[in-house]
Amino acid sequence: MKKHKFLAVVAATVLSLGTSIAAQAALAIVAHPSNSVSGIRADDAQRIFLGKSGEFANGRRAVPVDQTPGSASRTKFMKSVIQKSEDELKGYWSKLMFSGKGQPPREIGDDAAVKAWVASNPEAIGYIDGKFVDGSVKVLFIIP
Amino acid sequence: MKKKLACLVGASLACGAATAVAASAGDSGISLSGFLTAGATYADQKVLSTTNAVSQDGNIENTVGFTNDSRIGIQLSAKVNREVSVTGQLLARGSEDGFNMKADWAFVSYRAADPLTIRGGKLKLTTFLVSDYIEVGYAYPWIRPPQEVYYANPISTLSGADALVRFNFGDYTLLFQPYYGVSRGEQALVPQEVIGAIPQITFTPPATLTASPSPAGTVAYTDFTADSLTGVNLSFGSDVFTVRAGYLQTLVSASAFGVSQEKATFTSVGGTLDWKGLVLYTEYFQREIEGLANMAFPNQKGAYATIGYRFGKFLPHITYATLDDNDNPTTLFGQPLKQTSATLGLRYELGTGAALKIEAQQVKPEAANTGGPARGLLIANPATGPELSDNVMIYSLAVDVVF
Repeated sequence: MKKHKFLAVVAATVLSLGTSIAAQAALAIVAHPSNSVSGIRADDAQRIFLGKSGEFANGRRAVPVDQTPGSASRTKFMKSVIQKSEDELKGYWSKLMFSGKGQPPREIGDDAAVKAWVASNPEAIGYIDGKFVDGSVKVLFIIP
Repeated sequence: MKKKLACLVGASLACGAATAVAASAGDSGISLSGFLTAGATYADQKVLSTTNAVSQDGNIENTVGFTNDSRIGIQLSAKVNREVSVTGQLLARGSEDGFNMKADWAFVSYRAADPLTIRGGKLKLTTFLVSDYIEVGYAYPWIRPPQEVYYANPISTLSGADALVRFNFGDYTLLFQPYYGVSRGEQALVPQEVIGAIPQITFTPPATLTASPSPAGTVAYTDFTADSLTGVNLSFGSDVFTVRAGYLQTLVSASAFGVSQEKATFTSVGGTLDWKGLVLYTEYFQREIEGLANMAFPNQKGAYATIGYRFGKFLPHITYATLDDNDNPTTLFGQPLKQTSATLGLRYELGTGAALKIEAQQVKPEAANTGGPARGLLIANPATGPELSDNVMIYSLAVDVVF
């Protein structure tokens, strides 16, 4: 019985790995469904994630959440939106953090954790692999 | 007081650790971060026959030493609500008798609007490009920022308030930061040339330095206060470059010298660039200090330029720095210091959040135009020392970490 369950889990994991490779192309910048903002430009998202702006275009407070270093989504987001290496980003935040001028976005975890966080926080903005997108979050921008 | 603070921080740390667990579950806005520098220094010769000390504060010696650059800092930030957050930083620094701990800053921050944040409490004083985060070695290329400029303002923190006003123009940000407050509990190194004269000082200049000077190489600090500390910091830049200018004035008092409410002004400009691997830093300052305070803090000016280039994880860089007299009136006691130095350095990234640095610095002291000692920022003039050299080499190695 236990063995069967285990096998089923393995099978499901392998399956989902397969689809994640297939769908990995797209990364979605997401916000809470109640947010009236219709979308966001990549450079505005960059400003929010670098602490230079704290608001969406509609005036709502924007609280960014990151994935933890090493996740595939984070790697892609760093490259295409933040446009800094992890080393450069560390240097950037060290200056702001230790001079009391800003705090880096909270690191929440992986795609599932960020989706759950954004779905339950009206001011949140995050990024998740496209295949995680469902009705619990609102897509603001797709990075192909 | 200190104990109380330690307890308070101890409690907060414990509370931070507890909430870190909660944070991973997804609430609370408490964050704990820190930085550390472990450094070693060595100067290649004695400059006085009576001591191994080579730098004027005695921290860099003709033996391998670990006190000059070693330090650790812990920072705790907590969001009280959407607009208000509190931040505290504890700093422990290597010294002859172990590590000295102090609360480097602690303030409450209020975000009044997207472009305006007001902060109150004990703040880091923004005199130069990196003075905001001067203790965080990881955030700049050198082991220590060029001393010909950074030694010039012994006031490192402000008890008072400032405002951070930010305007964004596309990729560029203009920051306007006015501040006001006082400085308490700081110490400044007294030039050894005037120490022996202290008991003989009268309150009205021109008293003369008749006392027999203390032995060469005496290291002494004086407590001082700075009142009506008023200034502004203006900076403009992007992720690639920053240019800044700052001005401050204050009234300095040091009772050991009979110095009371003497006016001091401080002007600085600087810029930095980090573009396609090219790294540039340059700054200039001048300070003017009136009355008796001029004795310990004569008028000075100084500048440096650093150029480096990043090859992957390596950042080799070279710095030229100069410290000079700034039209010091000869009727005052001021003992202006003068020196130039050239530094060759290498920074190597040890993965994200850690860096290894090595530096070799050649320091050449000179006599200032209006008199004063010919020792620069050293404890004595090497030309009159045991080795009769016109310069000293200082070698340094450090590891910087942020966490």
